[in-house]
Amino acid sequence: MIRVVGLRKRFGRKTVLEDVGVDIPAGGLWGLIGPGASGKTVLVKHVAGLLTPDAGRVEVEGQNISAMGEVARQKLRSRFGMLFQQNALFDSLTVAENIAFPLRRLTALDERQIAERVAERLARVGLAGFGDRTPNALSGGQRKRVGIARATVTQSEYLIFDEPTAGLDPVTSQKIFDLLRAEQISRKSTALMISSDVAGLMSVVDRVAMMLRGRLLFEGTRDEALASSDPYVKQFLRGETEGPL
Amino acid sequence: MSVEAGVVKAGQGGQPGWAARRLAGIGAGALDNARAARLLYSIFIRTLYYSVRGRREKGAVLRACYGIGNRSLFFLTAVMGFVGMIMVFHSCTQINRITGDLHLVGATYIQLVVRDFAASVGSMMLATRVGAGIAAEIGSMVVTDQVDALRMCAAEPVDYLIVPRFKASVVMTTVLLVWAMFVMEVSGMLTAWGMFNVNPRIFWNLSMVDFRDLATGLTKCLAFGAAIPIVSGYCGLTTFGGAEGVGWATTRAVVWSCFATILLNFIISTTALYVFWA
Repeated sequence: MIRVVGLRKRFGRKTVLEDVGVDIPAGGLWGLIGPGASGKTVLVKHVAGLLTPDAGRVEVEGQNISAMGEVARQKLRSRFGMLFQQNALFDSLTVAENIAFPLRRLTALDERQIAERVAERLARVGLAGFGDRTPNALSGGQRKRVGIARATVTQSEYLIFDEPTAGLDPVTSQKIFDLLRAEQISRKSTALMISSDVAGLMSVVDRVAMMLRGRLLFEGTRDEALASSDPYVKQFLRGETEGPL
Repeated sequence: MSVEAGVVKAGQGGQPGWAARRLAGIGAGALDNARAARLLYSIFIRTLYYSVRGRREKGAVLRACYGIGNRSLFFLTAVMGFVGMIMVFHSCTQINRITGDLHLVGATYIQLVVRDFAASVGSMMLATRVGAGIAAEIGSMVVTDQVDALRMCAAEPVDYLIVPRFKASVVMTTVLLVWAMFVMEVSGMLTAWGMFNVNPRIFWNLSMVDFRDLATGLTKCLAFGAAIPIVSGYCGLTTFGGAEGVGWATTRAVVWSCFATILLNFIISTTALYVFWA
């Protein structure tokens, strides 16, 4: 289980997270929604140990990742796979090298096994035969799919997907949501997913949370979210223009 | 308003006065600088550590050598050639006004080039080209989350990004600056010959260059070659914001790399003076 307790983070004078606390149950898909610049990405970066909070802590299976040194964090991070909002593909490497990178760094697989795993991932995201291309030669959607392949290639216990369907058409988006859900269920991993595609996200999550201006506004099951009387949650889930947002 | 008045005002009104705010600003600036110095030192130590104990990426150092060395060769040759011509032209013009005896101009010029000038001027040229390149590349990786992606894959950014450039820079900067010495000497010799009728055999007088000059010059080459990627890498890794942040990181890399080479030049020259010539 991942536990976030009293998390606060400031960048300069701007408070990005303020007293955020939540328990993310193991083995489920936890969605995170909210308007832009509400602190969603900063929160999941704290969970992955990429940022250190000004106050509060993040516990992964009872271990306080916020208080760990870099070496210990690196060890814990090896149990995470992460898709970044901007994909973060390495420009100097080919698509296949990008996907193979975590395998070479985090596993003891030989080159033949790595090549097999990379080919399987590429086929899974519908990019078979794209291995020799560089990320610059791909469209935005293709780059996103390569990012998903890289995030899932190590079969991590914890998965973080930051906007996995941004820039994809509706059909591909739903396929990606279904693919990620299937991956999460088959490996019984704990997945955190941020998405602006609320309808798509709500079709696959077990629980969902909403952030607004650095604070956690709501956390509950999908049904509880859909039945919520909170005007912010209601407006955001329904995509209405009239309301407090 | 005096500082005292500012403090009194702060105490009376509940709001900090201008003096208190000013002091707080200075204190915050000092703390930021102390943190930056600590981080730079940390990157330096980690670079040395990973240079010995780090993971070796196949071909990374060679690629960096090509980027730093081969691609700087024409730029450095052209600049240092012109600098050598200008220096000899002005030296000969001044000597002609005073004594008119140019037979030692080559010997003193070559000593100056070997001991100091090729390394200090050449390293600043490399700081503009290589330093800016390193900071821009790493900075753009930071703002596009690629550095965080490296950390998620258990790749330490200092080990993966700075160490290959550090190793390549130490080797290639030294090679380039030795080449720059040669270029400056040849261009100076041709200038003295073409414009002041100084015989090349008389100009090419190495009698004033000894082991101490060579040791000082080479130490500077190695030190500058080490400083440029570390300072530039630090600027790149501390980038924040988007394209504007990368632009600032690049500017900072050039400014601080040049400052670092001048500071190191002073330290090495002073040390050499006490060790060799005291």
